[in-house]
Amino acid sequence: MDSEDDMHDANDLDSVEDDFYSGDTGMGSDDGDAHYDFGDNESDDSDDITSRQQQNYTILSEADIRQHQEEDISRVSTVLSIPRYAACILLRHYNWSISRVHDEWFADEERVRKIVGLLEKPVEMPNSRELTCGICFENYPCDCMNSASCGHPFCLACWRGYISTSISDGPGCLMLRCPDPSCSAAVGQDIVELLATDEDKEKYSRYLLRSYVEDNRKIKWCPAPGCEFAVEFVIGSGNYDICCSCSYNFCWNCTEEAHRPVDCVTVAKWILKNSAESENMNWILANSKPCPKCKRPIEKNQGCMHITCTPPCKFEFCWLCLGPWSDHGERTGGFYACNRYEAAKQEGAYDESERRREMAKNSLERYTHYYERWATNQSSRQKALADLHSMQNEKLEKLSDRQSQPESQLKFIIEAWLQIVECRRVLKWTYAYGYYLPEHEHAKRQFFEYLQGEAESGLERLHQCAEKELQIYLDAESPMKDFNDFRTKLAGLTSVTRNYFEHLVQALETGLEDVGSSNSQATCSKSSSLKILGNKSKSGKIKPAGTNSASGAPSRSMDDGNLWSCDHCTFANPKSNNTCQMCEHHR
Amino acid sequence: MASSNLPPRIIKETQRLLSEPAPGISASPSEENMRYFNVMILGPAQSPYEGGVFKLELFLPEEYPMAAPKVRFLTKIYHPNIDKLGRICLDILKDKWSPALQIRTVLLSIQALLSAPNPDDPLSENIAKHWKTNEAEAVETAREWTRLYATGA
Ligand SMILES: [Zn+2]
Ligand SMILES: [Zn+2]
Ligand SMILES: [Zn+2]
Ligand SMILES: [Zn+2]
Ligand SMILES: [Zn+2]
Ligand SMILES: [Zn+2]
Ligand SMILES: [Zn+2]
Repeated sequence: MDSEDDMHDANDLDSVEDDFYSGDTGMGSDDGDAHYDFGDNESDDSDDITSRQQQNYTILSEADIRQHQEEDISRVSTVLSIPRYAACILLRHYNWSISRVHDEWFADEERVRKIVGLLEKPVEMPNSRELTCGICFENYPCDCMNSASCGHPFCLACWRGYISTSISDGPGCLMLRCPDPSCSAAVGQDIVELLATDEDKEKYSRYLLRSYVEDNRKIKWCPAPGCEFAVEFVIGSGNYDICCSCSYNFCWNCTEEAHRPVDCVTVAKWILKNSAESENMNWILANSKPCPKCKRPIEKNQGCMHITCTPPCKFEFCWLCLGPWSDHGERTGGFYACNRYEAAKQEGAYDESERRREMAKNSLERYTHYYERWATNQSSRQKALADLHSMQNEKLEKLSDRQSQPESQLKFIIEAWLQIVECRRVLKWTYAYGYYLPEHEHAKRQFFEYLQGEAESGLERLHQCAEKELQIYLDAESPMKDFNDFRTKLAGLTSVTRNYFEHLVQALETGLEDVGSSNSQATCSKSSSLKILGNKSKSGKIKPAGTNSASGAPSRSMDDGNLWSCDHCTFANPKSNNTCQMCEHHR
Repeated sequence: MASSNLPPRIIKETQRLLSEPAPGISASPSEENMRYFNVMILGPAQSPYEGGVFKLELFLPEEYPMAAPKVRFLTKIYHPNIDKLGRICLDILKDKWSPALQIRTVLLSIQALLSAPNPDDPLSENIAKHWKTNEAEAVETAREWTRLYATGA
């Protein structure tokens, strides 16, 4: 499959990577103070990941699905010495699991035959010149009748009608039985092929194809709208991320959009959370109260505590204490401060529902914080996808023209954009991750936010290079001689960012387990997750990460001036501390 | 609908229903519509419906016999598989329908259902519950209803 190879020729990048790290040019040559040190170049690692992904699933086109299905049917038919239609019925019954079919069959053939309606000895139709059709009650000559293996005769028109009705009822037609109510003989594809209309044959074969995917534990349709590929997965092989040939990434396990580093359960929770209904409930809880008189929910939308219920009720009451407004005035501390409420609150007397409203309001604010960032990355990703397409469809050609480079030499730009799209996706899900990271795990939260910030600025740097810096070469009137430097830089950034994100995903997936959570002053061990910060550049010099002021990265106050980067874990500590806040390593 | 438009199968079934009626069952097509049948079923002996005469309507849809006939009780009946509107919960009227079944087999099945109510597959929740918690009392109610509504008095 060509399309599949396309998706995986990320390997091509290895050569670029090699250039990048062995070349003397050094990608910072133009840009002296740029440090690309937020990830070790562990190309062995990323190779592993790539090849593992290639092994644990296969993308199937419709032709592939049919071929797999045919092969399975042939295999069962050969091993059990039964006709193909019978093998197909058996496979369908046991959800297309060849081993199940074999196990059941060899354990108790008689029982299996009975369950699926395969008679051991076919019965011929009654041997007389004329037969009565069991459906239309007409008499026909023998050769105008047909039967399943049970010999119950029906005329061709009735068979056609029977099959057609069953097919229009849905996929149950794959388990069709003889029309005789006392008979359970299976009616297989052989009879359908012999007796049904062309249209019905086509529908039947579609159902059969769909069944091979939908009833099969190992195969699923790609969930992207309009995509017709299916994915065959090696069960138990771990990593659920699937990249379909249509370029959609999804999770095998829950079929939501790919969501590493967050697990499926969290994704489901988050999606539920995002569904308008559940949040609206909280919003209403936080922003509305029932009118004390008519009990309809009243929404407070102005600062004033004086609420008038909507007609016909029109009851005037105080938002804070829900008492009638007529009781309010000088006595209660003025119209804008309800002493009764303050007093009641101090006495702890304000009721449970009030407390719940407060909590809902706080949790709503917290949720909104994460949701906004999640959604922003989502739209950035959409934008990056659109940019990727315009790059593929027009800009690449233009660039090839302007810089006199064959398009085949410009693949690194597409790689960069694919990486940006992927990083946006990961970054997006880190916000759902952050939302569910317990508040009290201060060290983890701190570390997590640090990693997230680094990821953000690293990605910004790549984005900047792939967008703004590229523009110079797109606008150039004639080929520029530093284009090769640009290539080296962008390819390098792509690779470094990919590694960083891959490690970030791994660290979050292991639940930041290496970060102590016993006290707020974190302790971190010599852990694998800390390698992601890859604090050593090739020269062995230690540099704080994310310091490129020209990158346009979100300000993370990672200014060299006020911070020092820990040797051990690279955490950026304020100058005023001499021990690392993260790992207590001395400066 | 003129009978000339009827499929031969329906004509044959009708003729046989009239010439050899099943015991305790009568079914006759309406004058105006040969696909519409007036049905009467006698309450089976040793059932709480014994002594009752139950009226039903039966209609053969256009797709018959590929689709099941539509049948409904017109007489009020206290039965866990029959609801207030007289609709019947019976597998052969739904997913177990086969075009090789006939009006006769359907009506015989309904008659059998009167002899053997099945509260585990109920159409009427309340009656089914009654049947399961206190069968004797439920049977008594069924008898009462038979007397009240099905004796033609
Ligand atoms: Zn026929
Ligand atoms: Zn048969
Ligand atoms: Zn797809
Ligand atoms: Zn998932
Ligand atoms: Zn009111
Ligand atoms: Zn008040
Ligand atoms: Zn440290």
